[in-house]
This record gives sequence, structure tokens and C-alpha cells, in this order.
Amino acid sequence: MKTAVCVKQVVTREWPLRPNDSKTWIRDQDATYEMNEPDAYALEEALRLKEKHGGEVIVVSAGPARVQQVLREALARGADRAIHVEGDALAYADAFAVAEALRAAIAPEGVDLVLTGLQSDDQGFAQVGVVLAEKLGMPHATIIMEVEAGAGSLRVKRELEGQFFQWVRMPTPAVLTIQSGINTLRYATLKGIMAAKKKEIKRLDPPAGARSRQRIVNLYLPEKSKQTRMIPGAPAEAAKELVRVLREEARVF
Amino acid sequence: MILVITEQKDGQINRASWEPIVAAQKLGQPVKVAVPGADTASVAAELAGAQVAEVVRLEAPELASYTADAYTTALAALVAAEAPDFVFIPHTYQARDYAPKLAARLDRAIVTDCVAVKPYEGGFAFARPVFQAKLYADVVLEGPAPHLVTFQAGSQKIDDLARGAAPAPVRVVAAQTGAVRQQPEAPFREARQAVDLTQAERIVSVGRGIKAPENIDLARQLAEALQAELAASRPICDAGWLPMERQVGSSGQTVAPRLYLALGISGAIQHVVGMKGARTIVAINKDAEAPIFEVADYGIAGDLFDVVPAMIAALKE
Amino acid sequence: MSAIEIAVFWVVFLGFVGWFVLQMRTRRRLVMAGADNFSIDDVPARVRRFVSEVVFQSRVIRAKPWVGFAHLFVFWGFCAFALYTSVQFLRGLGIADLSGTRWFGWYQAALTPFCVAVLAGIIFLLIRRGIVRPRALGDHVSKESILIGFFIAALMITYLLEYLHFGRQAGPGLGERVNWWIHMLLILSFLGLIPDSKHLHLVISPVTVFLRSLRLQTVPNLDFEKEELGFETVKDLPRKVRLDAFTCVECGRCQENCPAFATGKLLNPKKLVLQNEEALLAGALDRKLVEIYDENVLWQCTTCGACEQACPVGVEHTPLIVGARRGLTSNGLAAEYLTGTFNHLERRGNIWGLLYDQRQKFVQGAELEIFDASRHEYLVWLGCAGAFEADFQKSLRALFDILRARGVTFGVLARERCTGDVAKRTGNELLFQELAQQNIAEFTEAKATKIVTSCPHCLKTIGHDYQNFGFHAEVVHSATLVERLTRGMSMPGADTVTYHDPCYLGRYADTHEEPRELLGRFGARVAEPVRTRDNPFCCGAGGGLLFEEHESGKRISQERFEQLQATGARTVVMACPFCSIMLKGAQASANADLEMTDLMSYVDARMKAASHATPPAGPASAS
Repeated sequence: MKTAVCVKQVVTREWPLRPNDSKTWIRDQDATYEMNEPDAYALEEALRLKEKHGGEVIVVSAGPARVQQVLREALARGADRAIHVEGDALAYADAFAVAEALRAAIAPEGVDLVLTGLQSDDQGFAQVGVVLAEKLGMPHATIIMEVEAGAGSLRVKRELEGQFFQWVRMPTPAVLTIQSGINTLRYATLKGIMAAKKKEIKRLDPPAGARSRQRIVNLYLPEKSKQTRMIPGAPAEAAKELVRVLREEARVF
Repeated sequence: MILVITEQKDGQINRASWEPIVAAQKLGQPVKVAVPGADTASVAAELAGAQVAEVVRLEAPELASYTADAYTTALAALVAAEAPDFVFIPHTYQARDYAPKLAARLDRAIVTDCVAVKPYEGGFAFARPVFQAKLYADVVLEGPAPHLVTFQAGSQKIDDLARGAAPAPVRVVAAQTGAVRQQPEAPFREARQAVDLTQAERIVSVGRGIKAPENIDLARQLAEALQAELAASRPICDAGWLPMERQVGSSGQTVAPRLYLALGISGAIQHVVGMKGARTIVAINKDAEAPIFEVADYGIAGDLFDVVPAMIAALKE
Repeated sequence: MSAIEIAVFWVVFLGFVGWFVLQMRTRRRLVMAGADNFSIDDVPARVRRFVSEVVFQSRVIRAKPWVGFAHLFVFWGFCAFALYTSVQFLRGLGIADLSGTRWFGWYQAALTPFCVAVLAGIIFLLIRRGIVRPRALGDHVSKESILIGFFIAALMITYLLEYLHFGRQAGPGLGERVNWWIHMLLILSFLGLIPDSKHLHLVISPVTVFLRSLRLQTVPNLDFEKEELGFETVKDLPRKVRLDAFTCVECGRCQENCPAFATGKLLNPKKLVLQNEEALLAGALDRKLVEIYDENVLWQCTTCGACEQACPVGVEHTPLIVGARRGLTSNGLAAEYLTGTFNHLERRGNIWGLLYDQRQKFVQGAELEIFDASRHEYLVWLGCAGAFEADFQKSLRALFDILRARGVTFGVLARERCTGDVAKRTGNELLFQELAQQNIAEFTEAKATKIVTSCPHCLKTIGHDYQNFGFHAEVVHSATLVERLTRGMSMPGADTVTYHDPCYLGRYADTHEEPRELLGRFGARVAEPVRTRDNPFCCGAGGGLLFEEHESGKRISQERFEQLQATGARTVVMACPFCSIMLKGAQASANADLEMTDLMSYVDARMKAASHATPPAGPASAS
């Protein structure tokens, strides 16, 4: 089974988020980056499928030169080779431009399966996988909690709302977006890091004509931040007030 | 004109569908509502109660159960035929599955998870959470109409829905779905084990503050009133007052319910790591200094033996 | 001595000595085949320690004075007899006969008290080993040790016979000759027995004591350029570890002090060392270490260091355990309970996987300044617990109040990651080095030279392990600093508390008097638990075991909590966030009504109570 895994590089979760002067993106000078966590689950799933069924895992990322870091990391964790579609604008691009870049890298490979995380920790579009499927002419399914791979077909478990799930069958090649928590991530090992040094990262230019259709015109902090609200008063009143806020404000029942 | 694509299952409308209708009404443009499915008569009748120009029943046997392929093909044809300025969709799990594909098929721009529409330079900007909702972005879409927008549940108040004086006209459109590659099986809930805290919507959890095993019953009553699962911190399970399978924390389950109500739990770090993902955390503890209040959204510093009976009474009102 | 006697003695002598040399060469070859990791830094300190531990047997005596002195007598007796034995060999081999000289007479007279001491010592040890049979010495009485004990006793008796009886007769008689032959054959047999017995320590332990690292758990960094992965197979064991395997005297002190062993787990540090010896001698160089040891034992070690500290012959257990863990972790084979922790460290930079905004909230709430070398004397390191653990944050607030009250300037880093303590102890060297380098870069950029922390694990990691990266700052635990700052203060009181020494403070940093000094100064009487000061019983959290929620046997934390409870004190004072988490957990599970508090919280509360009663004291200098 030949699997492509699309990973994105995002700023680390501890990076202090502040809008830049033009309020079109965050201040990311000197930022530290990491692999988008949902994509890490997709990679893990691909590695597990390979361990079970054999084959090859190709990790693909679209972005500036710095995304080689996450490609290296993926190789260290067990991916066989990497493709880097290099372009500075891809760091802020919309799902269409990113999907087009990924399509250009994946289409010639003739893969059986394309996996990616459900969404990214930065833009959070939750679109790239689906758009990519359309561009590759492959069927897709999203928010996947389990993958059963057969010969030429897949059976996957989708998460639905209200704690419902659904199994869906489809032919391969197909695109799946993976829900975080589908598996337990493996940690990076020295053995893997050493093996990764010998693996290949292929570099591609982004395809012409892929441009974003959306742009951020204002970036800002949400109004409220989380703080503990202590409810004062005698026990009976406090209890009553608590039930009211839970019902009307928090809307938990 | 704004075309709203709603969502139904087995004749039941998904409540989130009302919100893009509200959003569309607010923009002051004509609103058409489409409802895809195999038998949408009752849902269409319900939707026709809203103040909209028309309700379109987009019907085909292949639309009986959702597949991305069938929905995308059917909806792409409808959008092409109707040529709206915007397509509004509720940001449901289903929409997340097909809306980007629909946009790609139509080759039009899409913004997802929108929480507000704002006027911007003669057009609109769409507010959406980014960076895991630690920031918000106002986004503008470019390129030819229609632009697709999915709305986050809770972004609009359903109470704001304008109702029509008379039911809106309903039209049936026979949909073409083309080849469908996905074969869905029936949706199901996980066979629930005796206790599955990870799937619980609400959890009432007890700690050492409950003092004695016979007091667990008080917590159980509150859990019943809240339709919640009963859980506990490690000492309670160590003492055998509740079984291990109800233990929350690093040695037990990691849970993420909508409501986590901690009774007499001090908030040791091993417990906190198991429940920090809860959407709303409530702590009731005698010790106002207890660490649990650090992570709680709402807190009552008081004796749980006074507060809990009063809560049960208030819930029964 | 007749020519025939001399000839026979030559044959016997060459036979035994040849056998000894052959056996020793095998062992030498096995040791030298390992990677060279003998480090001989700070020779004067090593010489001092050698005199103390080898010549005066201080480590043997300390924990067990009776056994220790008995052993000291035997040891000194051996040394004293060296010359006597040499003279007898020269005589037997027909090279020279010095036994008739006047000085030899004096020497023999001087030897007599030694001889009596050895005899007394060996009889005591024989009774202990053969009749009392403490568990640490093993499940079976070692026949060979008993035999050697009798050898030694017989040597002394034959000597006394020679000196007191035969030597005073005129001319050599048959009795004298028989006695001499018995004496010499005993010595030669003993020599022959040495290499393949625990008595090899006679030869090797002076070397291993000299070579033992000056600080507990000295574990050098892995060199990634050299593709070092840790100890995977027997072949990977470096020289010191191999030497340790041969020097082990099987006294079982490591086992006796091991909290894992004491609570019914499979881990037995003594057994690990002996299993290494067995594998080396069997030539099983390609066998995986995990196949040699019992299942999972490597993941039961809290790295408390009790074994290593107790060892009288210089065996270093923790580098072996960490090294073997590295061999597993480097290949993705760490214990399952660590996977989550590693992910948290990789993805969030802290052990709990929480988001650092919580630290930010604490830094703001406690009104802390970001460290600026031009304005602040100390950098206070918060650590994972300081960032996320609400109880520990309270004790840090207490520390801040004390520092402010004493006029000490301090700040914190804008950004911290875990020091890498857990990663280091669990063999995740990759993660450890990443975290360490990031933190060192932050320290260096901030120009921090004095660092104070309330976490003993951070203390060891920053203060000792970071030296492997060339980072040398003055790193102190808050107990040390606050003790310095509050000298001259005193408060009456009659509070009885018990104090739990954290392993990484009391044992590793030798900081056990400062907390007691502080407690006494602020009106508390310390009721000592068993296992205290520099040899505490672990809380069970170290070495990554904070995250092992399903430990086999009795929980170590429970055992320790019961020890503390048995002091009768109503208050337990602790000085480590990990100990606090473990012991509070044990307390909650035991539903015991004891007050559990951190040292800083205790001191701060008492200082504040005092300042309400009397005007505040003026600021003191930190040094």
C-alpha cells in the first residue's frame, strides 16, 4: 500500500499569539514551528497501515524552506521519503492553493491512499483534504476514527455528531482526513533520526496559477478569556444561580 | 439571492440548519432554502414556516443517506441553476465533509466555521476562529459568485428567525447524483460498556470531600438530575467506594464532556490532566483555596452537603 | 627447608598462581573489550575518597558499624599480613629466608593483635552469614563464602600456632612443617578461588572505588554523531559497567535500600549487576540486555540512587539502568506508560502536556518580573510543577514572599520548557538534549548565573546534567538559599513535624541539614522517619515513575507515607513537587488526617506569623 501523508508546519502551541502590525497574520518572526498535531495522527496511522500491510509512506508538505523540519521529523518517525513543494506564499495560502500544490506532488506518484489531519492548528480550514480529493478525482471521507484497508477498497469509521459513528466503504485510491486521537502517537527515536539522514526529500516548485481566494483583513483577540467565576451567596441561592448559569449561559443541558 | 443548504436525517431537521437561515435573513437579501434528501416533504413544510422566498426539495433516492459524492453532484447542479450570490451552510460534520468539495467542484471560494458576517468595503467580511479560537480573523472572499460560507453552531440565535406570514412556496427538484463511490453503513452508537466516561456528555465527579461511602448517593442523585455519569478521583476508587472504571485522571479515564462538575475534589494534577478538556468545569469545594478552582469556569466555595441538595431541588423545578 | 620441599612448593605455587593469572586475564580481556568510559577527573578528591572508603572502610562501616568494623579488622589484617606472606613465599621458593631476622621477630609480635582482630572479625562474619543469614546476602548461604571464612580463620590459627608454639621450639619439627604447609596451601587455594568468587573484590574494588564517579548518577550525554544509542546488548556495556560486574561483593546493600525491591517488585539492583557478570563470562556479548534481566525491571527504577550510594565497592547502578533504558528508548521500546509523557514533552515541552498559558497566568498573578541580569540577582526556575501544579505554585508564592521580605531581587524566564529530567532518566536522550539545549540557550541569553529552584529534579538536571553541555551556573535549591537568608532569625515553637527528604535533594545534593536547620529555626521539632537525611526512602515518583499509575506490588508512595505517619507527627513537610504529588496521593488514598506542606510554605507562614508579632527583620545578604 502506497500512502501519501500531507503534513503542515504550524507555529508551536506555546508561541505567544499576537497579530502583526497590518493585522493580517500573527507576528511570527523568530517563531518556533512544529508538525500540525492532527497531521501527526495521520502520519501515525499511515505508519501503522504500512506496518500491517507493507508498502511505502511518502510525506508531503507545501510551504517555505522551513517546512523541511517537519518533513525530517516525519522521516525520523518512519516515513520512507518526502516531497517538499516549496513556496513562501504557501505558508499563508488558502486551502485551494495548498491543495493544488499537494496535488501536483501527489498525482504523479500513483498512491493508493492519501491521509491528512482533519484540520490545521493555525487556519483550521478543515478543507485541504476534501479539496485535494476533488482535484485528484478520488473519493474521500472525513473525521476518520478507524481505517480497515483491503485490496482495492477501504472501510473507514467516520465520526458523526451526537456520539454516532458510521462505517463507509469506498474504492482506493481515496483521501481520508484523520481525527486526532485515532491512535497513540509514537515518539521520535534516535534510531529513527539516524535512519532519516539517509532518506530523500524531493523539492518541487509550486504549480503555476494556484492562488488564494481568501485573505485575512483583520486579526484580533476574542473578547472574553477564561476566568473562574465564583458564585457567592448562601448555599441555596448559590446552587440556584449555578443551575441558572449552566442552563442559560453555559448551555450544558 | 442567498441559497441556504439545510440538513435533515430521516425527516428530522438538524437544528443547526436554522442558523444560516437567520444569518441570510439578516443580510436583507432574498433567501432560498434547499433541503437535500429522498423524502423531504415534512422538513420542507417546517422550513417553509420561515420568512424565505422558496424552499427547494432536492430529491433523489441516492440522497437518502448522505454521501459526499451524491450530495456534491446534486448540490453543484442546483447552485449552478439557481446562481445565488452566496451559499450558506451550517457547519455540521456533514457540511465539513462535502462543502469544500462542492466549492472545489464549482471552483468558488469558501469560508468555513464562520461566527459573524460584517460589512466590509461594500461587501462582507466573515469572522472565524483561527489558532484554535485563541484568535479570530475577519476574512474576505475573492473571485466570482457564489461564495460559500459555513456557520458555526451557536453563531446565530435561532430565536431571531423571522417567520413568514404564510408558508413559503415549496418546489421539488429531481436531483442527478452521478456515480457514487462511497457506500455508507447505518450510523450507530458505540456499544456502550457498563460505564463509558469518555463518551459522557455530562459528568458529576466526587473526591475526598464526599467523606463517606454512604454520601456517594447524594452525588448519584445530582448525576441523575443532570442526566450525567458518575465519576471519581483516585482516592475514592482506591478506597473502593466506586469502581476503578469510574476513575478520572492520569491513572483512569481522560474525559471531555460538555459539563464536568467536581464535588469535593481538590484538583491534584493527575486528576486535572484527565478532565481539562471538558468544555465547562464546575467546582464545588469547601476549601476556597483548592487548586480545582484554578481550572474551573464556575465555582462555589461551600459545603457540598448544602449546595448539592439545593441544586437537585433547583434542577427539579 | 629441604630441596625436595622447595621443589614441591615451586610446582604447587606455579600451579595456583598460573591458574589465578589465567582467570584474571580472561576478566581483564572482558573488561577492556568495552568502550572506554573511565574518567579520572579531580584526582585529589578521588584520592581523599580512596583513603576514606578503602583504607578506612568508611562506606562499609557507616550503614552497618558492626559488620563494618569486623570487615575493617579483616581488611587491615590482610594488609598487615602481606609482608609476612611474602616472606613465607620467598622462603618456600628457596629465594631467601628472612624469617630469622630480628625485625621479623618484631613484625610478628606486631602482627599478633591484627591476627586476633581478624579472627574475631571473621568469626562474627561467619556467624552472621551462616546462622543469622540476613536476606540481603541472598536466599542461599554461599558455601564458598563459608569456606573462605574458614580458610581465613585457619590461616590465623596456623599463624598463631607458628608464632606462639612452633616458632619457640628449637629447630624445625614435623609439626612445624605441617603447620607451614597448611598455611601456605590455604593461601594458595584462596588465591585460586579469588577470580571466580565475590572475593575478586579484594583485587578490583580499590580500583572501582577510585573510578566511581564523584557524583551520583553521572550519565554522560550520548554522542549522536557517533550514532550512540545506549546499551542494547552486552557488547555495549562500557568498561566501568563491566568492572562493576566483577567487583560486586554480593553484600546486598543495594537491594536492601531499593524502594522497588522493598515494595515487592522484581527489580533487584544486585541481581542486575550479577546478571551482567554471568553474561560476560558466558561470552553472550550479542544478547540483548532486556533478555538477560527480568522482564520490566528496568522500568521499575525510580533512580533514587539508594543502591549506588550504599554500594561499598563503587558499583554505579544508575548509569547502567539509564544506559539500558536508552538502548530501549532509542529504538522506540520504552515502557508503554511513558509514551504519553514523551508526547507531552515533544509537543508541549512539559510533562503534563498542558498549554503554557497557565504558566503565564501564574507569572502574572504572582506579579513576577522577567529576569533581567542587570536588576535581578537570582533567576527563579519554576519548572513544570511551577507552571501547572496549583499546590506547588502556592509553595512558590511562599518562596517569592520570603525572597521579597529578605530583599533578594529575582526574576523568571519568559519561557521555560521541562528541564528534561524525566527524559534523561528514562533514556530518551534525544528529547533530553533538545530540551536541555533550548533551556541553556534561554539561560545564556538571559545571562543567568545564579539559579534557584524548589524542584530537586530540576536542581539535579540543571546543576549537574547540564554540565555535560558546558553549562556551569550556581544552581541551588530554595531550602539552601532560604536557610542562608534567614540566619540569625529564630522563632519559638513546639510544633512537631516530620520531614521527608527528597532523594534528589537529601541524597543527590547532600542537602539535608538545611531544611532541618530551617524547621528548627522556625519553631519545629523534627520527628525523624526511618530512612532519612542522605538515605531517604523514595516517594516513588523519580525516573519517570510519576507516570506509572499501575505499579506492581505495594505502591512505593504508600510505603513511604506509612513510614512518615509512624513518626506520630501531625505535619509532613516536603521539599519536592513530585514527592508532594505522590505522598498527597498516598495520604488521600489512606484517608489520613495529616497536614502535608511544602518547606517553603511552612517557613513563610511562620515568618509571617512572627512579623505580625514583632517588627520585620531587615534584609539580609544572600551570600
